[in-house]
Amino acid sequence: MTINRRSFLARSGALGAASFAAMHLAMPRAYAQTEDGTISIALAARSPNGINPQQSGLTGGDNWALYQVFNALVASKPGTFAVTPEDFQPALAESWEVSEDARTWTYHLRRGVQFHKGYGEMTSKDVMFTYGRQLDPEIVSAGKVLFGNIESIDAPDDYTFVVTLVRPDPLFNASTAVTLAASIICQAAFEEKGEAFNLDPVGTGAYYVESTDESGINLTAFDEHWNGPAATRNIRVSFIADTTARTLAFASGQVDMIEGVRQPGWIPAMRQRDANTIFDATAPGSFNTLHLNLQREPLDNIKVRQAFRYAIDNSQIAEAYGELSTPMVGIIAPQFAGSVTKEELPEELKYEPSIDKAKELLAEAGFPDGVTIPCFTSQREDYATIMLMIQEQLRAAGINLDLNIIDHATMHAENNTDKNSLTLNSSSFPPVPTMPFLQRLAASADTKPDGSGQGNYSHYGVAIPGIDDLLDQAQDEPDFDNRIEVIKQIEEKVLTDLPLLGIITLSYVIARNPRVDLGFEVQSGYAYWPLNQARITG
Amino acid sequence: MLRMILLRLVDAIPTVLLVLTLVFVALRILPGDPAQVALGDMATPEQLELFREQMGLNMPLWQQYFIFIWDMLTLNLGRSLVSNTPVAQIIAVNLPYTIELTIVATGMGVLFGVPLGVLAATNRNKLPDNGVRVFSLIGYAIPDFYLGALLLIVFALNLGWFPINGGGTDFASRMYHVFLPALTLAMVKTAFLGRLTRTSLLEVLGRDYVRTARAKGAREGRVIYRHGLRNALLPITTGLGLSLLATLSGSVAIEMVFNRPGLGETLISAIAERDYPVIQAGAVIFAFFVVFINLLIDIAYIVIDPRIRVQ
Repeated sequence: MTINRRSFLARSGALGAASFAAMHLAMPRAYAQTEDGTISIALAARSPNGINPQQSGLTGGDNWALYQVFNALVASKPGTFAVTPEDFQPALAESWEVSEDARTWTYHLRRGVQFHKGYGEMTSKDVMFTYGRQLDPEIVSAGKVLFGNIESIDAPDDYTFVVTLVRPDPLFNASTAVTLAASIICQAAFEEKGEAFNLDPVGTGAYYVESTDESGINLTAFDEHWNGPAATRNIRVSFIADTTARTLAFASGQVDMIEGVRQPGWIPAMRQRDANTIFDATAPGSFNTLHLNLQREPLDNIKVRQAFRYAIDNSQIAEAYGELSTPMVGIIAPQFAGSVTKEELPEELKYEPSIDKAKELLAEAGFPDGVTIPCFTSQREDYATIMLMIQEQLRAAGINLDLNIIDHATMHAENNTDKNSLTLNSSSFPPVPTMPFLQRLAASADTKPDGSGQGNYSHYGVAIPGIDDLLDQAQDEPDFDNRIEVIKQIEEKVLTDLPLLGIITLSYVIARNPRVDLGFEVQSGYAYWPLNQARITG
Repeated sequence: MLRMILLRLVDAIPTVLLVLTLVFVALRILPGDPAQVALGDMATPEQLELFREQMGLNMPLWQQYFIFIWDMLTLNLGRSLVSNTPVAQIIAVNLPYTIELTIVATGMGVLFGVPLGVLAATNRNKLPDNGVRVFSLIGYAIPDFYLGALLLIVFALNLGWFPINGGGTDFASRMYHVFLPALTLAMVKTAFLGRLTRTSLLEVLGRDYVRTARAKGAREGRVIYRHGLRNALLPITTGLGLSLLATLSGSVAIEMVFNRPGLGETLISAIAERDYPVIQAGAVIFAFFVVFINLLIDIAYIVIDPRIRVQ
């Protein structure tokens, strides 16, 4: 085919005209709202990475879909965290027993639970398969660390599953069995589908995956669900990474629920637009804590650390976030067992905010003219905002933070190679009181310059004696109440040494159109909740 | 012409190779551990090590480099470190949206920009010329992400004429979804092409053969479109090529604002997640487009101006 000038220009023109004509023709029929018994939720992520609970790299949006598609052995009451052993409810396990030493957990599985898409009944073989993959060191999977205390698993019959632990754990349901990583997957489907399982999973949840596309996941109610069919036929989990685009999608009614923005002023601004919008927030949400590097001057000086504690007013920071935040006293969120309150602490550990006291301590430490500390934090909205507030509060006491705000992945990489003097950390922990200490303050989690260490950026237990003995004691304690008592001792020890300062909790928040009734009130819990009772009322 | 195309393609090899090397080096210099990003900060050191081993991240850098170059030559784009999806699949899903946006935005830019330029040139220093000048200034001055948000609020949110986000499914719905994002990108393109057309046309309209055409009694329309605009097309084509490349890179911000699937948005996320294979493949695709568009411009020169063909 030869192209000459005339045909080149003519064809280009025709193509342009055809495109515009198509656009006009398309307009009336392509614009459709969600109104056909579908509840639509938009999360802050780009596209589905997978709906396999053991897959690494899952986003918050993937987790929402996962939670509807899979079940674990136990569950917490919708909209809450199960904080004590008694708070757990049966799910795929109808009942369970724990040995006196809290090392052997026996689960009695519910009979007749069906997998999606005709894969038959769930039995202990599927549970063994699920836990077995998490215990296999040759398989890279999400949440593997949660299975680290398991010594062995066994299935004496089709409906019994037994877990033996290395160390006692009266909260095994919270630390492992209830988590997304312990969602029961169908062995037959997993083996049959291979990699395709990631986007076409088979679980036992109230919804099954109908289809996925580049911007979302379509779920349909599973009529044979063991807890009865879901109230609404379809759920659309959309992925809208950009905050503005997500907010506009909600404001226009295109989606019913969106992941909120954890920024001061976001909720009031949304309420100004529509006072009827409902905000579902999980308390506590993330723990925001400030690591002080005990191997760096002047933070190796306890008086300087105390000056930090007196200068930072947690209540003021929490107030800026309004209903999304609570001030922390220790390292455990105030909503969880093991946390301490100011009232129960001795006077010297209450640290009532006082700039004068902070200046006095700084002078006693040999810094009457103040100190300058270089540090960096992430550009992620919650990190940057909280650190800027801390910077302002410390400035008043003569502590000048020479703060750099950098890319989030870079911040983690630099923190992991021990390059920061003080670092804010935002982590979500389940109500397992040993977990924050094990991950953030145990000597075994010490951060190493070569990056081979873990999240103890303070070097607590390495630079100065830490809480390792108390942690051992807590981990060997089979009784829940006794364990909590040890945890409170740990809290006091940390408040004495101040390697890590609790700042605020920050809730995960979803804005909801009042036409959607969830069927329960969201009070606490993970950053996702069940939608099987949700219905459209308006 | 075939020889010219082949020569151009051979010329492009060192460019693409240089881009590949720069991307590879830049990614390895950039702090951030892909294993940590993929597995989260609760991952055990053993899991991180296993992940690095499985993904080839703990090989010596030179070895990783040669494997990367070989994979690119054999069109093996690898798998995403985050989702484990084949990168070719990620590109295949997202690239058409970016191409579609670029083509429609460029089409709109030409459709609006060239007539505006003609209008300005034929009414030099009069009201239409001044009007086009003001429009061009505004077009240049407004950042596209701001204009995009503005259009989104007015036409999608308040008037409800367009969808808030997404890329559409069938052809019609895709064209409907692309309209506002393309209009946003077309604004600066219209301003640019309008100014370029005006300048080129004014220069041509002052030439002897135009005066001769007028002296022979040719109608003004014929003088402008047949003798003027056709001869002014060469610089406009160059400008169009450059603007096409600018649109391709400008699509990144617009895809974010309109929450459209696309290569730009994919790359931004991949950079945040240190997803090396996706970033590398994306950079190669962009480099390929630069080469391809330059080639198209060269071919267009030949089609438009027979003198170049003879040379």
